[in-house]
Amino acid sequence: MDILQINQTSDYKKAGPLQAHFNPYSYNGGTVLAIAGENFSVIASDTRLSEGFSIHTRENPKTYKLTDTTVLGACGFHGDVLTLTKVLDARLKIYEQDHHKQMTTGAVAAMLSTMLYHRRFFPYYVYNIVAGLDDEGKGCVYSFDPVGSYEREAYRAGGSASAMLQPLLDNQIGFKNQQGVTRIPLSREKAVNLVKDVFISAAERDIYTGDSILINVITKDGVTDERFPLRRD
Amino acid sequence: MALADVCGLKSTDFQARSLGLSCSSFDLYNALESSEKFSIPFNIDPLENLKYFTEKDSNVKIHFDHGTTTLAFKFQHGVVVAVDSRATAGPYIASQTVKKVIEINPYLLGTMAGGAADCSYWERVLARQCRIYELRNKERISVAAASKLLANIVYNYKGMGLSMGTMICGYDKRGPGLYYVDSDGERLTNNMFSVGSGSVYAYGVLDSGYKWDLNVEEALDLGQRAIYHATFRDAYSGGVVNLYHMKETGWEFISRTDVADLHYRYQDEKQAKKK
Amino acid sequence: MSILAYNGAAVIAMKGKECVAIAADRRFGIQAQTVNTDFQKIFEMGPRVYIGLPGLATDVQTVAQRLQFKLNLYELRENRRIKPKTFMSMVSNLLYERRFGPYFVEPVIAGLDPKTNEPFVASMDLIGCPMVTNDFVVSGTCSEQMYGMCESLWEPDMEPDDLFETISQALLNALDRDAVSGWGAVVYVIEKDKVTRKELKTRMD
Repeated sequence: MDILQINQTSDYKKAGPLQAHFNPYSYNGGTVLAIAGENFSVIASDTRLSEGFSIHTRENPKTYKLTDTTVLGACGFHGDVLTLTKVLDARLKIYEQDHHKQMTTGAVAAMLSTMLYHRRFFPYYVYNIVAGLDDEGKGCVYSFDPVGSYEREAYRAGGSASAMLQPLLDNQIGFKNQQGVTRIPLSREKAVNLVKDVFISAAERDIYTGDSILINVITKDGVTDERFPLRRD
Repeated sequence: MALADVCGLKSTDFQARSLGLSCSSFDLYNALESSEKFSIPFNIDPLENLKYFTEKDSNVKIHFDHGTTTLAFKFQHGVVVAVDSRATAGPYIASQTVKKVIEINPYLLGTMAGGAADCSYWERVLARQCRIYELRNKERISVAAASKLLANIVYNYKGMGLSMGTMICGYDKRGPGLYYVDSDGERLTNNMFSVGSGSVYAYGVLDSGYKWDLNVEEALDLGQRAIYHATFRDAYSGGVVNLYHMKETGWEFISRTDVADLHYRYQDEKQAKKK
Repeated sequence: MSILAYNGAAVIAMKGKECVAIAADRRFGIQAQTVNTDFQKIFEMGPRVYIGLPGLATDVQTVAQRLQFKLNLYELRENRRIKPKTFMSMVSNLLYERRFGPYFVEPVIAGLDPKTNEPFVASMDLIGCPMVTNDFVVSGTCSEQMYGMCESLWEPDMEPDDLFETISQALLNALDRDAVSGWGAVVYVIEKDKVTRKELKTRMD
């Protein structure tokens, strides 16, 4: 043990093989937000992809359409996001051709969970949120941790600015800390406007969130896209 | 032999993997088929590997959901199971609505402490194995056997960074069953367990109020109070108290109560007593 | 774990129309263990000058006492009330004296100018770099959550009642997403002729 310490504090360096460390992850920022409504769900993400203090691109939405009624939001390490979405798409295609129908949102969430857990010892560094419609046509949102623990929720923010967005959603959608209010079900317009508002707030304070947002609204008729500009500094 | 089959364990398979000798580098075929196979990069120690994101000063941070209070105790009318519902990632509260009681089947419950994903995944595997046992043997699996299945599975992954502390609760021929199983491979049975960061506080309340011959109402109240007091003192526990009662006929979900409501209810009770 | 998060705390200050508000949680804990739920983090430093001190509890009390001492000397020497801006310099000076062995507090200052009643809010890092803003300042273990809330809820020129509601909602919802702060909250609304102190009912987990 002593010898080890002497080596560490010594001014001399021994010639010999050195172990180089390879870090297989980096962090590319981005924020995803999903809200489940009565017969729709909204999922939005910003379009900035960055690393450290530099921006790779301003045009990279982090939502991925999986089926006609399911959209995935994924952020974290973009390399893992690419691999994960590639494998997910392939497995969804296999399912569709095996069963002659598209996977339901709940089934996509369950499958994603096991896919993430199968990389338990070398995880995907990805924060996932799945939004869509459940078997009864109601809006549903599932949120995941990087190793596949998941839960169905009414609303969820994930990614770099999640800590800024989540308390406001608790307040405005979950009616937390409000007493004696009538809980009006969330309308589609209000949900979309709320998404814009909270993203504007996040872009003010989080350097990894900005440029613009892509808002996907999922209804039984399909998925619509909407772009909304954010600050670009 | 039967037990090993039921576990779905090929011992060589698992040993090789736990020694890090497996060379199942991530290939697409595996990913698409992914049934039992875990992807581990060749010649990489998974524990060493996980340090990239569990270490403090790492530029990437993966926080797995942690922090909990869970408890279960046996009494004359079965088992009471009570848990909180908070998931934290560092000091950030990731969720206040986690279901920490895992319904394995109608007469088996598991609790969740430690890594949320580890618990839910392996208890799902356990549920499958228990069902297979039923189909093969035409009778329900005992709580002892079920908990041992889980303990054996996680023991094969010992030293690889799994993190779970779970209580397997059930009712079988021998009466109420309660086993503590953790990711180190430990498996214990007793009348009372509490697991998680808030367990010390829960034990304090449980020990002061516990008797074997509590009636059902008293027992449920004791469980609920113990969790509430733990959520009050422990920063990493909170949310709602989920309460279950395991009876001879299987488990019954009793209640889901916000601890904020409980706090003010108990405070009023205290005030009323003073007067 | 950062030493600033050892005891857990959250403080916000906000500007309104001819008024300011400052609010803090009431927990004193040691990491995960909640020890007390009536810990003072906001200190009166004059009739319309308040300071919030989130950070290491021992330093919170030391800094508060040393500031009170300095303030007394100032008032005896000058024979007048201190301006919030001057007070900020005093705090900054006190903290920078310990540049290489700092007090682990990140103060928030709120007040009204004793002559003009001009609202003033400012915050500081632990070695005394002051930051004066026109809207709100936050400090503590859930600053991200508070920034998110304030950035959406705050608007200019709020009346005292609106300001109270806004700062309360901002604090409460931020606390509910932070494990190490909460357990009660207190709000001071400072107007030119009165200061109202209100305790908020919060979740206690």
